[in-house]
Amino acid sequence: MATSTPPARGVKAPPTDTASARERSPARSPWLGWGTAACVLVLLALLPSQLYGGQQRLLAGVFMFVALAQAWNVIGGFAGYASFGNVAFFGLGGYTTAVLMVKAGWSFWLALPVAGLIGVGFAVLVGIPAVRLRGHYFAIATLGVAEGTREVVVNLPRLTGGGAGITVPAVGPEATTSYLGNYGFYQAFLVLAGLSTLAVWALARSRFGYALRAIHQNEDGAAAIGINTTRVKVGAFALSGLLTALAGAIYAFQQVSIYPDRLFDVSITVLMVVMAVFGGSGTVFGPVLGAVGLQFLSEWLRTHYTEAHTFIFGAIIVVAIVFLPQGVVSFSRDAWKRRRVSLLETVRTYRL
Amino acid sequence: MTQLTQATVYGLLQGGLFALVAVGFSLVWGVMNVVNLAHGAFVITGAYIAWKLADAASVPPLLGMLAAAACLFAAGYLLQRLLINLIVNAPIWMTLLLTFGLDLLIVNGLVLLFTGDFRSIPTGYATSGLRLGQVRVPYGRLLGFLLAVGLTLALVAFMSRTRMGLAIRATGMDRGAARLMGMRVRHVYAVTFGIAAALAGAAGAILGTVATFNPADAGRYTLQSFVIAVLGGLGNMWGALAGGILLGVVTAWGGQYLSGTLVNAISFGVLVVVLLVRPTGLLGRPYYELRQEA
Repeated sequence: MATSTPPARGVKAPPTDTASARERSPARSPWLGWGTAACVLVLLALLPSQLYGGQQRLLAGVFMFVALAQAWNVIGGFAGYASFGNVAFFGLGGYTTAVLMVKAGWSFWLALPVAGLIGVGFAVLVGIPAVRLRGHYFAIATLGVAEGTREVVVNLPRLTGGGAGITVPAVGPEATTSYLGNYGFYQAFLVLAGLSTLAVWALARSRFGYALRAIHQNEDGAAAIGINTTRVKVGAFALSGLLTALAGAIYAFQQVSIYPDRLFDVSITVLMVVMAVFGGSGTVFGPVLGAVGLQFLSEWLRTHYTEAHTFIFGAIIVVAIVFLPQGVVSFSRDAWKRRRVSLLETVRTYRL
Repeated sequence: MTQLTQATVYGLLQGGLFALVAVGFSLVWGVMNVVNLAHGAFVITGAYIAWKLADAASVPPLLGMLAAAACLFAAGYLLQRLLINLIVNAPIWMTLLLTFGLDLLIVNGLVLLFTGDFRSIPTGYATSGLRLGQVRVPYGRLLGFLLAVGLTLALVAFMSRTRMGLAIRATGMDRGAARLMGMRVRHVYAVTFGIAAALAGAAGAILGTVATFNPADAGRYTLQSFVIAVLGGLGNMWGALAGGILLGVVTAWGGQYLSGTLVNAISFGVLVVVLLVRPTGLLGRPYYELRQEA
């Protein structure tokens, strides 16, 4: 009988697998990985001078989703708690920033960390009761929280502008921080994506990360070996909330005008999950790969199939889930280890 | 006072329809542990089938409802048999993502086919109604309510009186044991999903006669089904009926006395609180255990 803790994951990938690739081959120095990452970052930081505004915006969107997918990866991929309400943090972060800038006249750079703190606070507040639930129940509870949060935001028109939204003054004397421009937001999202990936990388090697993986594989066992599961899970949820709220804060300023229906859109949550899962949830670079790949694909579809792009995107999700349920990173690693590529084999893993 | 009574009656009638929308969702969740995010899309598809039949061939709404149910039963059976069965054993977010992909496919397919315009199915009795003292009861809503409750009760009877119903319940309780008893689990799952889709389609066809619809409504019906299924307890059909009527009445009262859409915030609040305090639903024991007790 299927349990919420996926047995097949454990079978296919031993617990320390994601972290131990480097430990197993000490010949490959960790500096190689760091060097590559640093080179990529420097290249990405220099790249915008070669791009026009629209391309910079597109890449800024890609980086934002890297951060969001990594944030989901912490709670969903590592802890195995499928949060379907992460968009609540995104929306709260965005609205905190917008409201502080508009109503209190704060600078963006002051509002940004406050938005992050609100994300952490809300995650702790929701997390403490919610992480007692497992499986679908956690997913539904978080989804309910996200929908409920949106409705509250809609129904506080004096603070949030209600359904009509709120506009941050970006130019002129009323602007508390001058608009960052395409290049500025490119950099902001790049930094956030880099920090998120770094955080997940550090997490994967820390005691905290091992505790999360233990909870994913067998929660009762994890509790039995002395892990304070509630604290660890709430911690993971809070980290997820922090990164997501920061992304939401930058996004709100980038968009200038924000609406509850856009900032609390369920499909943003679903995109985070799809990207993390498609790339490889519970791995460090899977979510990066998933976010980059799917965001480009989605943009490509949007420009080439203006009417049917969502339709095609839905079909791609269905096919990807059926054929690559464990994600590109884990699939390639298994294929590499066994020197065999078989899509049918992965289909057999989960079928009835 | 009259307003309150009118709102209550309206809420009761609407609640019966909510129950029919949610009962299939609850059944699939309870039996297969699959949360079907495409459920609302099935509802809207049913509405479009009945509307198209009425519009193109002037098929009466009742017949249109049966046609919608039949089409969706077939579609649901095939979907489960060919697609969802492939990942039934995967981690839960896989089924959530798969059905979300299906939801995108169906909803946007409907937009491509029928545009996003609001439609409704015309009936001869749309404007007439019954007067009980000060309270008005439109015939269309009354008929819809009776049909919805009738179908829900028929499902209850099917589940408790027939061999297939027994097989579905047994599979939901212990799939391994059911298989050992010689049940063809893949077929049983597919029939379960087909029934859920058929009821959703029938509900959509009825909803189409009492209100307007367009493809974007799908998400709302899915979320409503969540709330009702959780309130009533998973797989609990009486629970779905009670939860649906409760939600209908509360929504109607909220619409009467609260500003804006605050009632939605309350219904999600209730959902979260029920999950946290009493995850088995308000009506007690589900016949399908929580996989791991929280």
